[in-house]
Order: sequence, then C-alpha cells, then structure tokens
Amino acid sequence: MSNRAGQATAFMAITPIVAGKEDELRAYLDGLSQDESPFALLPRTHFARWVILDDWNDEKSQPKKDHLLSRYLIFTSNFDGDLSSYLDELCDKLAPQAGELWGRCVGCPDGAAGEALKEYLMHNKINTGFFVAAYPHLRVGDVKRALDTRARLIDFAVSSQGMRPAELQSAFNAEFLLTDGSR
Amino acid sequence: MAAADVAPVDRADIQGNILRAYGKAYDRTSYVFTHLEDPAGGREWLGGLLSQVTSDQERPDPKLRPDETLNVAVTYSGLQALGVPADVLKGFSDEFRAGMAARAEILGDTGESAPENWEDGLGTGQAHILVTINALTSQLLERALDALKAGVEAAAGVTIVYHQPAQLLDEVREHFGYADGFAQPAIVGVSEHKLGGGIPEEGKWRGLALGEFILGYEDEDSLPPGRRLPSAPAEPLGRSGTYMVFRKLAQDVALFRKTLREAAALYENGDEEKLAAKVVGRWRNGTPLVSSPDAPIPGFDREDMSNNAFRYLDTDIDGARCPLGAHIRRANPRDALGWEGLDDSGLLAYRHRIIRRGMPYGPSLPEDAVEDDGEDRGLVFVCFNASISRQFEGVQTQWINDGNAFHLGHDKDYLLGDSSTTNKMTIQGKPPDPPFFLAPQAAFVKTRGGEYLFVPGLRALSAIAAGRWQ
Amino acid sequence: MGATVDPITATGTHPRNVDGQAITIAVFSSVKWSGRIWLPLLFWAVTLLARVEAWLRRPPGTLARLSFIHFARWTLVRRIPYNGAPQQKEKLSYPRLFFESNFNGGWEEYIDAFSHILTKGMILFWGTSYGFPQPKPTAPFKQYIKENELEASHFYSAYPQATTTMVLAAHDLERKFDAFKGRIEGATPDAFAEAWRAFLSEVQADL
Repeated sequence: MSNRAGQATAFMAITPIVAGKEDELRAYLDGLSQDESPFALLPRTHFARWVILDDWNDEKSQPKKDHLLSRYLIFTSNFDGDLSSYLDELCDKLAPQAGELWGRCVGCPDGAAGEALKEYLMHNKINTGFFVAAYPHLRVGDVKRALDTRARLIDFAVSSQGMRPAELQSAFNAEFLLTDGSR
Repeated sequence: MAAADVAPVDRADIQGNILRAYGKAYDRTSYVFTHLEDPAGGREWLGGLLSQVTSDQERPDPKLRPDETLNVAVTYSGLQALGVPADVLKGFSDEFRAGMAARAEILGDTGESAPENWEDGLGTGQAHILVTINALTSQLLERALDALKAGVEAAAGVTIVYHQPAQLLDEVREHFGYADGFAQPAIVGVSEHKLGGGIPEEGKWRGLALGEFILGYEDEDSLPPGRRLPSAPAEPLGRSGTYMVFRKLAQDVALFRKTLREAAALYENGDEEKLAAKVVGRWRNGTPLVSSPDAPIPGFDREDMSNNAFRYLDTDIDGARCPLGAHIRRANPRDALGWEGLDDSGLLAYRHRIIRRGMPYGPSLPEDAVEDDGEDRGLVFVCFNASISRQFEGVQTQWINDGNAFHLGHDKDYLLGDSSTTNKMTIQGKPPDPPFFLAPQAAFVKTRGGEYLFVPGLRALSAIAAGRWQ
Repeated sequence: MGATVDPITATGTHPRNVDGQAITIAVFSSVKWSGRIWLPLLFWAVTLLARVEAWLRRPPGTLARLSFIHFARWTLVRRIPYNGAPQQKEKLSYPRLFFESNFNGGWEEYIDAFSHILTKGMILFWGTSYGFPQPKPTAPFKQYIKENELEASHFYSAYPQATTTMVLAAHDLERKFDAFKGRIEGATPDAFAEAWRAFLSEVQADL
C-alpha cells in the first residue's frame, strides 16, 4: 500500500450519491470552471478531480455481470505533504463546494465541513496501491517558482543576445538581482 | 514483416502519384475543386472522367508517359453530394467527416489563418470533388484544363468553385529556397530501397507497411495472430483508397529573408546560410546538417538514397549539428524520440509518417529582395496517409505546433510557426559554445484554405459513379 | 446533415479531461481471482523497489522516466465503504483495478508509449483484468482503454501550461542558476559575460 511518492501524497475517496440527487450534483460539477476551480483554494494541490461513477463496465469475458446499487462521486487528489493536514485545509477552505458535492452524498455530516467532514472522507478513503511521481520532491510552490524563473531566464537570454559585457551585466543585475528577493 | 508475407500491391487500382511520384517532368499542376448541385448529374460527370484517371500502374516504357495525368479526390460533403447513403458514410473517419475547417483549433489555424479568413470556396463544404491535373508543359496543362472546363460546362449542375495552379520552381526548391519533395517514406513492396525512409532499427532500416498509406492493406498495427486490417470504409469504396490533406500555405518570403539576415548579424559572424540550415535541419541544397554540419556538400544528390540514411542519436543526441527543433527533425524524428537502450528507437515516431506531394505556387521573389512585392506565393501542401488524425494531425499538433516531445516546452516549428507567432527557437551550441536564439516573431506562413479529402481506388471510383454503394 | 462527432481536442480525449497542457485519464477494470493475490504483491514489490532505488539514489525506473507523465497510480478497489442507510451495501463480484494518471501530449501517444515501452509493465498490472488484450497491436488495446475510461467531471491542474519536461527542466535550471549567481558575485563585466556564456551552454537543454 503506498499513498506516498517522495513528499507527494495520493488520496482517493468514493462516496455514494443520494438517490435522486445525481443530476443536481452533475450539474454543479458541469458549472465549475477550470479557471476558477475550487481546488485553487488548496495551494498544496498539484492535480485533482471529481468523477461520477455511474456503474461498472463489464467485459464479455466476465462470468458474472456486476452492477452498482448507487452512483458514486469519486474524488482524487495528488498533493504535497501529509494527508491529515491537507484534509483539514480542504474541510475548511472548500466548505461551500463540499456542501454542493459531498452534501449530496449519503452519510455526509450536516453542514459538510470541519472535523466531521474529514472523518467522513477518511471513512470513505480507498488506499492507493502504487503511486509514481515524476518529481516526487517538488512542492507546488517549488514547481511554480522554477517555471517562472525559467520563463524569465529564457526571455532574458533571447533579448540580451549580442549585448556587450557591461550592458549584459547591468541588464542581468536589473532583472535578477534587484528584483529577485532570494539570491 | 517481410516483403514475401505481404499481399501484392494492386497498383492498377490505386491512383497515381501516391506510392510513386509522377516525377519532376510534370512541373505544372492545377488543382480544380468542383461543386455538384445534383447527385445524378455529379455521378454522371464523374463517370465521364473515369477513363482519364491515372493509376499507379507501371508504365512499360517510360518514354510513353502521358502528356498529363488526372486524379480525383472527394471531400465528405462531396460524398454526400454524390448521394452516398448515411450508413456507408459512417465508415469514413471522424476527422474527415468533420472537415479541416472544423479542426482549425487543433491545427493552429487561428487568427489570420482561421477558416473565416480562408479564400472563397475552401473550408465551407462547397468543395466537393478535387481534380488534380499534372502536365509536362504549360500548354499541355492549358489544353487539359480547357477539356475539363468544357466537361464541367456540359455536365448537369457542376460548377468550379476553386482553382489553384502550381508549378515547380528551379532545382525543385520551395519559395524559402530549400530543396523540397524528397526524403519520402520507404514502403514495403513499393519503395524499400529508400534507405532512411523507413523505420530505424538496430543497424538497419525497415520499410513501413503499405497499410500506413493505402486502405485495405495491413498496417504497422496488423500484428499476428489476428493481423487485423485497419478500419476503413466498407467495400467497394474503401479498398485501395487513402486520405488526402490539401492546404494552401502562403509564404512571406521577404519577411523570412529579412528575419534571417537580421538574426544572422549576431550568428557566427553573419553566416546566414548556416542559420538558414539550422532552422530547417538541411542546407538549402538538401545536405542534412547531421551528416555535414559545417558546410553543404556541393552537388548533393537528393535522389541518392544513401544520403538520406542518417539518424540523430548516434552522432547528434544534443542537437549540436541539427537543432532539436529544426523543421525536418520535428516533421520526421526518425530515432530522435528513441528510448535509452531500446533497440527499436523509431517506435514512438513510426506511425506518424506522411507522403508529401505538394507543389509551390506563385512567382518567385527576385533573389536578394527583402521587401514584399504583394504577389501571392507559397506551397500547396498535399499529403497522403491512411489516418489523418494519427498521421498528419499527429505531426501537426504534437511535433510542429508544440515542442514537448523534444523537451522544448511550447516552442513551435520556427519555419511554420502558427498563425500569430513563432516562439523562440534554440539553436544548440556545441560545448563550450553557448546556444543561439532566434527571437519570437510574426509567422512566415499563413493558411489560406484547405480540405480533407478521400482518394478512392479506381474500382471504388467506378462504383461511386455508378451509384453502387455496397 | 453535418457529421456529428464527439468534441475531440488536439489531445484525442474529451475536453473535460484536459486542463491546458495537462491531460487526465482514469480507468476501471474488473479483476480476476488471480488478481486479488497478484496485484497486492505487485504493488508491494514495486513500491519497495522504488524506495530502494530512491535510497540508493539510482535513476528512477522506466515509468518515472517517461517524461510526459506527471503522476500515475494504481489501486485495487475491493470493497466500497458503507455509510449506513439509505446507501445499499455493495457486494463486488470482482475487485476493480483503478488506474489514474496526469500527463501531456496526446492520448494516443500516451497509450502508444505504454504499449511500446512499458509492454511488460502493462502485462504485470493489467494481465489479471478481464478483457485485457495484449498491449500490441495497439488498436484493440486503445479500444479496451476507451471502453473502460471514466470521463472527469471536473479536472484541475495547479500549473496547466507546464508539461512534465518543462517542470523537470525548470527545476534543473533553477539549481544551476543559483550556482551561477554565486559564481558571478563581484565579477568584472568581461568575466561575467564569459561566465554567462558558459552557463547558457551548460543549461541549453533546459531552455
């Protein structure tokens, strides 16, 4: 069982949607935009998603057919650091969304927030078998900062091409040493 | 798979200029798109063309070659206009049915290259049948065009909605000045002798399966035990057919020259020719940078197959010879996407090959001119493949309009860019030399229009003309 | 009558599975009896291997080196948690193998890479799933994945415009840039210019 890769953690929860509330829940998810995703409120999140599981898909070679008795909301997230504090953040920051989503699931505590919601999610947790990360030691902040540095370095490398040494050095200092807090 | 295992190629049933090029003697071309008002009238007109359609059949005596060749392709709206029923239409690929204009976002045809800015007649569903005529001289082309036009006049409900003439430039170059049209795929049973045109394997090259280009034959995925054929429209329409991509690409030659000239001022003491070579991956006369990084080979023979049998990983893994983002390295990575220690280093690239048969159009910009003269010039890009989405679109979206496969972030092909801008291009330096950068700038190439087409085999064409769908 | 085709993005998958450059895939497959024993063993073994490799500072295995994958996970779902009425207790006839990944490039290219490069890996993970065809030929395998794929309802990436190779390049570049900044402290312009050129040469693969 492995929910960790380096400092990154994988989490999955499957919660049963209250019968009759599936369409509302789906409509709410459809209405979310990626530009203003609720997950942006959880800065430790690398990637996350909500998926609706309607039923199992059965293969012809299966001796028996398998059908789910409810529809399920699946929540997965790849994030930094430990699970417990991440869920604390989620149950705090995502309170409104939690109500619209887990609030429509069976067994969700009234108010869909705080410690009670965290317990609910932990109860419905599915442990990950094997988790792989391309950059297991980089936190979201590390990634964003490095990407920003790279973009600035590229722009500078292109625009400073052909500059004489004195001009090059002062342009470099202006871009990277005076404005960059961390040397 | 060995040539002996493969079904013999029915060359007489496949249209010409796909598997084997007609050759540079046919240096004049006209692309004529017609519109069919009425299915019966359209089929009758098509039937009248059948006897002129040129196949891939071997000519017993090359000196008896025809004065002109004629080939026919159909858009999806054209198939509908011919009366092909819905259940047969379903057998054609999704992207073909959607049409190139609907794929604009995917292809990078935005801004000035967007379909709403395309030339009249292309990308609107009006273009039904494409008749391509190649001729040995301009008089012969005129004669053939006149005959075609007369036939259109006489036919019921057939009109010409678009016409683009094209002609080869000196030394078979394209307008930016680069040798073009060679280094095509090597195909089992057809052109295995094209070394370097196939799949790089350990120490050798293997030809591509015919089914990568012609429907009805096994492709690279037709593995034992099932050896399933790739999906294709049902007989009689599918067999011997292929999909065609037609794109009119306008080239701003003056801008390209000016950009190179200005950039070269800072590059290796003004070596503009070398910079030009770095953008494409070949010197202008066709010499590959990988083989000859410092100077072009005088009298380079592009027809000599051994000249094309180069790879990237053995001598140029870091791009010091041929930049990682150079045009030919993007369009056909060969072994460059190879995997450490993996024998079959061409495996991530081998199912995205295309056969290119385009022609330049418009007059040449006088040598040394760096100001535009307002003339319309560029390339009629034509390619053939069994799957537009996997092959042409795969190359366009993953390799030309993006750089991630080559670890170049979002850098696009500097030569083609996209409608609005190129990104930067990194020209890797040989250590200890630093890299050289080409700055982002306005695109040199704009899409003026295009269509996705199906090129039926000859029996399929007869069936369509006769209204015989099953 | 226009052809009604599913909205396909350049990536070859539904737009809901895409955020900028990031693509997500989630697949459930039903697992045979043998898988109930095999998969937990496999997970334990590869996790251990990954930890040993990290401890030995050896280069990560093939999967982590496939430079277009951000994250990937496999999970064996044996039971669905029960929350009391009115939820009905689920009885799974078969455990379900859940695979989720975030990657860049095209859906087709991603599956191709699994087929060609992770061929043995595919069989290790999916060999005990019903209906799993061989990784090659790729067409039936892609069909299998498509049939078993779940479309995301909402997918988020913290850095949607970045690909995995960009992240790795940026990280490598940042380290080397910090070292460079240390080296040029108090340098004359000429020394600086030379050091800058040397730095560009050192990091050109990251730019």
